[in-house]
Order: sequence, then structure tokens, then C-alpha cells
Amino acid sequence: MKILENLTKINRRYIFLLVALAVIFPLVIPMKLPTIPGKYTIKLYDFIDQIPPQSQPILIAADYSPSMMPELQPMLEAVIRHCFAKGIRIVVLTLDPNGAVLSETALQKIAPEYGAVNGRDYAFLGFKPGSSIVMMSIGENFRQAFPTDFYGTPLDSLPMMNGIRNYADVPLVLSIAGSAITQGWINYAHTRYHANVGAGCTAVSTADYYPFLQAGQLVGLLNGMKGASEYEYLNKKNGYSSAAPVATKGMNAVSIVHLLLMLFIILGNIGYLVTRHNQSKK
Amino acid sequence: MTFSNNPWVWVAAILTLCIFSFLYKENPFYRFAEHLFVGISAGYGVAIYWNNAIVPNLYVPVFLQHNLWFIIPGLIGLLFFFRFSSKTGWLILIPLAVLLGTGSGMSLAPTFQTDILKQMQSAIGDATNLQLGGWGLVWGLVTFIGVLTTLSYFFFSREQKGALKISANIGIWFIMIGFGASFGNTVMGRISLLIGRVQFLLTDWIHLIK
Repeated sequence: MKILENLTKINRRYIFLLVALAVIFPLVIPMKLPTIPGKYTIKLYDFIDQIPPQSQPILIAADYSPSMMPELQPMLEAVIRHCFAKGIRIVVLTLDPNGAVLSETALQKIAPEYGAVNGRDYAFLGFKPGSSIVMMSIGENFRQAFPTDFYGTPLDSLPMMNGIRNYADVPLVLSIAGSAITQGWINYAHTRYHANVGAGCTAVSTADYYPFLQAGQLVGLLNGMKGASEYEYLNKKNGYSSAAPVATKGMNAVSIVHLLLMLFIILGNIGYLVTRHNQSKK
Repeated sequence: MTFSNNPWVWVAAILTLCIFSFLYKENPFYRFAEHLFVGISAGYGVAIYWNNAIVPNLYVPVFLQHNLWFIIPGLIGLLFFFRFSSKTGWLILIPLAVLLGTGSGMSLAPTFQTDILKQMQSAIGDATNLQLGGWGLVWGLVTFIGVLTTLSYFFFSREQKGALKISANIGIWFIMIGFGASFGNTVMGRISLLIGRVQFLLTDWIHLIK
């Protein structure tokens, strides 16, 4: 019984050490745990997949900063790979000051893999402050919010932007964000301008977006690293990508750590109950 | 195991370890990394906003295109700096009023539609749509009951007794399930961030994994 009571007094540093080992071990020795795509990942994937090649581009808003990178960057990369492999054109912008570097890095890394060309297969508009005003400006005309792309080229000079005026000309607005900015895209792009909106968010904020899925305000949702790994799996399954699945490797570690944490929670509760029982006896 | 030749990877790796050192206990290495991060973030933010907000929206229209109307919002924005004065600090209320007024005006209607009307339609629609059939209808009803009982828990204008107490108690269960789902996702999110850093250390820094 003394052992069970001591469970509540374990030095937290031992727990940190065990968590670190539970993270490192599956990363160094891959475990190949199965990936089962969720309903909302499949819905978003299928929505993008049915867009005809070389048709109107989808708009991707990469509204996140480096602190959310492990969850959202693999998501962005997986979606870009899917689009380039299918010949779907993309317009990428960001409403987070730190998002420009991250999304440009992803585009510059992936575009050469698929022979995608800036201005023909994708446009990178960069960062613009004033999120809700930008969202509404795009509803009128992309050129109001972004007269030029990130590199200073006027939008009218980009071949892929011919005939692309506002939300009516993009089949999907995909918000990949680590903050409540996705709600802004739903408010303005979907509710006001009736655009189809999809989302990719950090696991922490996933629960906030389920009501929008249920109400049909989002076409699909990618849930943190899990959502990214599911998208990577679908890309690989359909032969769209042969890149190393970063999020999938991470999910092995997530699974092991979850098991460890569940064990800690159970042991901690047993320890607590035993302590309380002993105290009530005294 | 080979270490990276890139000095920036080394800088990032050492700073990562400095931050992790907090897990052992508070120490000067952690403090240094924390202050460096806050300072760099602020500096980066200033540069980004200068180039992406001030230059295209104030400097270019006023000084290059001689469109003098843009001076007015520029001056209203400058009133924020009166925050530093105790005598004229009240002037900050002007840009704040403009900011809050515009923000509320723009978001009121779409937020009402998105968060209230559409959600109500969905909650009622799923619970009453017989065409959904089977589990679709069951989950629609569960959602509907969940919404009503949860709302009843937050109904503080009457003492919770009788039917209201039963409803509020059911609502607590829905709230707890919601909190549980949020907590589970939060754990996954935090662990994902740790994994991201460990992947960086093992892949980019010491090349232990490919």
C-alpha cells in the first residue's frame, strides 16, 4: 500500500524523462503503426481531389507561426503535394506575420518536386495585416487586398490569376491556422460570400470547429498532427507523394506517449484513492 | 551519428536545449533563451508591420502618390502613442473607438449568422430530419438534447431545482465529455510540439534519423 501511496509523490522530472524516452524511441526505431483516416480528413481530401486539373485555383491561407509548425507545416505540405500532383493550381497567402516564411519555404521545397512554376501553377501572395479586412477585400477582388504577389509582380501579370477575381472564382478556401482566424474565414468567406471553406487546425482548437462541421459550414477538417498524417497516408495511397511522411512518423510517438500518459493517469488516480482511503481510516 | 555543419542549426539546437532545461528547474540558460525569443519576436513584428502595413498603406499613398486622405487614418493611428502621457492619455480613446466600432460593425452580422442562426438551424434540423434515418437521426437528437441541457446548466436566473436541476445535471455530463475531448486534443497538440522539436534535434542537428 505504501507503494501505491507514493505514486502521487513521484518527482515530476522522472515523468518528463519517461515522456522524452517515449518520444525519442519511436522516432529512432519506426514502429509503423497503422493510419486510419478520419471522416473529416477524407471529406476534405475528396473535396480537393474532385477539383479538375488546371481549373480555378484553391486558396490556401497559411495563418500560423513557428510555434504551431510541427502540426500545421506537414498539413500544408501534404495539401500542396496533393494539388501539384493532381495539377490543381493554388493561391497561397497568410494573415499571420510569421506565416510568410513558413509557407514560402513549403512552396519552394515542393514546387521543384512536381515541376510547378510560380505564376502558372501557383501564386504566393505573402502576408497582409488586418485579417478581417483582408478577408472582406478578397470577397470584392483579390487585387484590392493584394495588388502584387509576394515578389512584387502585379497579380494581373500572373497567368494563373487571369479571370480570378474573388471567392466566386475559387472552389475552396482552406484555412490552415493555429488560432481563431479560421472562424474569420467562416464568418466572411463562407457566411458572407458563400465560399466553400475547409480547415486545418492544431489539435488544441479542434473541438472548437466540430460545430461548424456538423452545420456544414466547413467541408472538412484536419485535426493537428493526426490530420496531417492521415492526409499524408491518403496522398501516398493514391500515388501522389513519395516524400518522407513527417507527421506519420510523429504520430507513432504520439500514440506511445498517449499510452504512457493514460498509465500515469490511472496510477495517479489509484494512488489518490488509496491515500484518501487511508486518511479516512485515520 | 554526425553533427550538422550549419551554424544556424547549432544555434537553434542550443536554444532549444536552453528552453528544455526549464524542465529541470529555472536557470539562466532558460532565461536567456526566453528573453532572446521575446526580443526577436518583437523586433521581427515591428519590421514586418512597417513593411506590410505602414509603407503600403501610409507612406506610398501619401508621399509617393500624394493621396492626402490617407493622412487622416495615419493621424488617428498615431493617437495610440498618447498612451505614454498621463495628461493627454485620454486621446487613445479615439483610435480605440474607431477600431472597436469598425470591428464590431464588420463582424456583428456574419458572427450572428455563423454562430447563432446556422448553429440553431443545424441543431434543430438534424434532430427533426427523418430523412437522416438510423444513426444520423440518433446523433442529431443527442446533439439537440446536449445543446438544450448544456444551456440549461448556464441558466442562472432561476434556482436549479426540479426539472431544471435534472436538465442541468444532464448538461454537466455533456460539458464534461466536451472538456474531456478538448483535454485529449490538448495533450495531443502539446506532445506534437515536443515531437517537432525532438525531430529537429534528431534529424537536422545530430542526423540520427533520416
